[in-house]
Amino acid sequence: MAPGLRVFERDPGREARALADLACAAGRFTPSVSLAPPDGLLLEIGGCLRLFGGVAAIVEAVRTACGEQGWSTEWAVAPTPLAARWLARAGARQSVDTVVELPAALVPLSCAVPGWPAETVARLQSFGCTRLGDLMQLPAAGLRQRLGHGPVDDLLRARGEVPDPQRYFVFPEQFAAALELPSRVEYAEGLAFAGQRLFAALAGWLTIRQSLVRACSLQLTHDDGSTSVLPLRLGEPCADEARLLRLLREHLGRLTLPAPVEALRLTADEVIARPGDSGRLFTEATAGEGTAACLERLRARLGEAAVQVLGLRADYRPECATVASDPLAAGAGRELSSAEATFSASHPLWLLPTPQPLAERADGPHWHGPLQLLTRGERLESGWWDSGEPDATGDIRRDYFVARNGQGQWAWIFRDAQGWYLHGVFA
Amino acid sequence: MNALPSPLAEVLARGDIWRGDALAELPAATIPSGHAELDAELPGGGWPQGTLTELLVERDGIGEMSLLLPALARLSAAGGWLALVAPPWLPYGPACVAAGLRPERLVVVRASRQIAWCCEQLLASGGFAGVLAWPERNIDARALRRLQVAAEGRPVFAALWRPASAAQTPSPAPLRIALETAADGLSLRILKRRGRPASRPLTLAVPRPGRNSRVVAGPAFSPVRAGSPAVKAVA
Repeated sequence: MAPGLRVFERDPGREARALADLACAAGRFTPSVSLAPPDGLLLEIGGCLRLFGGVAAIVEAVRTACGEQGWSTEWAVAPTPLAARWLARAGARQSVDTVVELPAALVPLSCAVPGWPAETVARLQSFGCTRLGDLMQLPAAGLRQRLGHGPVDDLLRARGEVPDPQRYFVFPEQFAAALELPSRVEYAEGLAFAGQRLFAALAGWLTIRQSLVRACSLQLTHDDGSTSVLPLRLGEPCADEARLLRLLREHLGRLTLPAPVEALRLTADEVIARPGDSGRLFTEATAGEGTAACLERLRARLGEAAVQVLGLRADYRPECATVASDPLAAGAGRELSSAEATFSASHPLWLLPTPQPLAERADGPHWHGPLQLLTRGERLESGWWDSGEPDATGDIRRDYFVARNGQGQWAWIFRDAQGWYLHGVFA
Repeated sequence: MNALPSPLAEVLARGDIWRGDALAELPAATIPSGHAELDAELPGGGWPQGTLTELLVERDGIGEMSLLLPALARLSAAGGWLALVAPPWLPYGPACVAAGLRPERLVVVRASRQIAWCCEQLLASGGFAGVLAWPERNIDARALRRLQVAAEGRPVFAALWRPASAAQTPSPAPLRIALETAADGLSLRILKRRGRPASRPLTLAVPRPGRNSRVVAGPAFSPVRAGSPAVKAVA
């Protein structure tokens, strides 16, 4: 009938892990999450209604989040956990706001919904009770005698007449979530969807623990048993699922997989406490993602060496006075401030990475035409301390001049024992 | 009933009358360029923020960056981030500090191929006060249009350096200025701006190193240029 159908064996362990991951992700909506195994999650939303703007809004948000992760959901909202569970299991998709309305909502449910033992359900049927409404009309004492306490107590809990305390899901100290892929993924881009599921769990966990993640790593298990690790480093700590996913996509775009991937595992490596932030009195227009997020994305695509800020170093050899430094590191750029004092006003804004030899004719050096010297020589020398080291400038002895050619270009040139060189441009 | 026509000046003073020879009033923010003559010619009285500015230069080293430095220093002093995308050479840290830029907020992006993409990201992020880019010579109008859209409405001074030959091709940038060297500074020709077209080129004195007035002979020049009057003046 369905030739493409693939049959998987049911694995309770994996179901439980998936439920725990989903509970982590639900941390974004409420801190009070409880597991209702094998297939239920109870979210206490009474305290979060104002934050999300009403029952309809929070339900929509939770359903969207589940949908993004590829789960199909049945839902219900009720004042008691048991009633909510029963209504959800019956596929009611309704929201009951007060305890008073509860019995009316429970009346049409089938007796099979609560998941009582089959024998109890069969007995109820023999009484002619097929709906919970029929059961509620019978005297409780007689029911207890015939069916035991279970069903009657459950009914009382569902109607809110007896308290029903829940055991809340404990969010783990360390975050690590694993995901086995339903099929082997051979292209790096294909991992983005699976990554989304893991990041949703991470975002929920971070919200609950009032933390931000600075670095996390994604471990890929290949089908030949080997593993590889993809480290993800954020420019500034964040708890934003979408931003993590964008960063992952940039990394995946550059990644080539050595072998198809079977499973993923996400661990949060560096987690810091979230600093408090006061809300704004007036809503302000969002102004884009900001500096750090943008730099982080550029670095992910172009490589860290390609996106740098300037740092200063106290060195009078021009090529050593500027160092590239990490834009996002705290206190980047300022290695020292005294370096500013060593500068005289006749230094150019642009520097050639390596001096460019200039042709010398009878009338002096040439760069797009003959160069006129406009200043007296400024002698820069020494540098013995790193001479002989690989890639170091070493000992220099140079006379620098400001020069201009016939086309109005201003250059910073020097002469040493080898001849004339162009080293900078006054732009 | 007074049916007398209002005097002309009164009519012209009305807010909804626009005179063809006046510069368009821009509600968008601008930053003073640091050159009073230039500010008078630029719509809004300074370099525009939130739109592309094209600067057309044939050769480097004629003072083109010095023209922007007062505005960039102002942005940097206010704590804004500046980005240079694919600059032709590396900025020299001490000179940047001397010009008033904060080196720890000056990002240099060395992109060889994805220059337009980088600019778009930087402009759209809203986290940068100034983005200066040196795009490929053959950047097409579609890419420029995307950059203009990315910059729109954001408080960012976006300047693109383009070759002088690009003056012939149309561009979505609302402000285009061709820079040329002049005898006593830098000559600016405003090719396009909002409002009436500019008629004459503008010559600005940009700060230049050394002493412009006379030629100082270097050691290598002594025999060759001994006869020139400039050298005599020094001697």
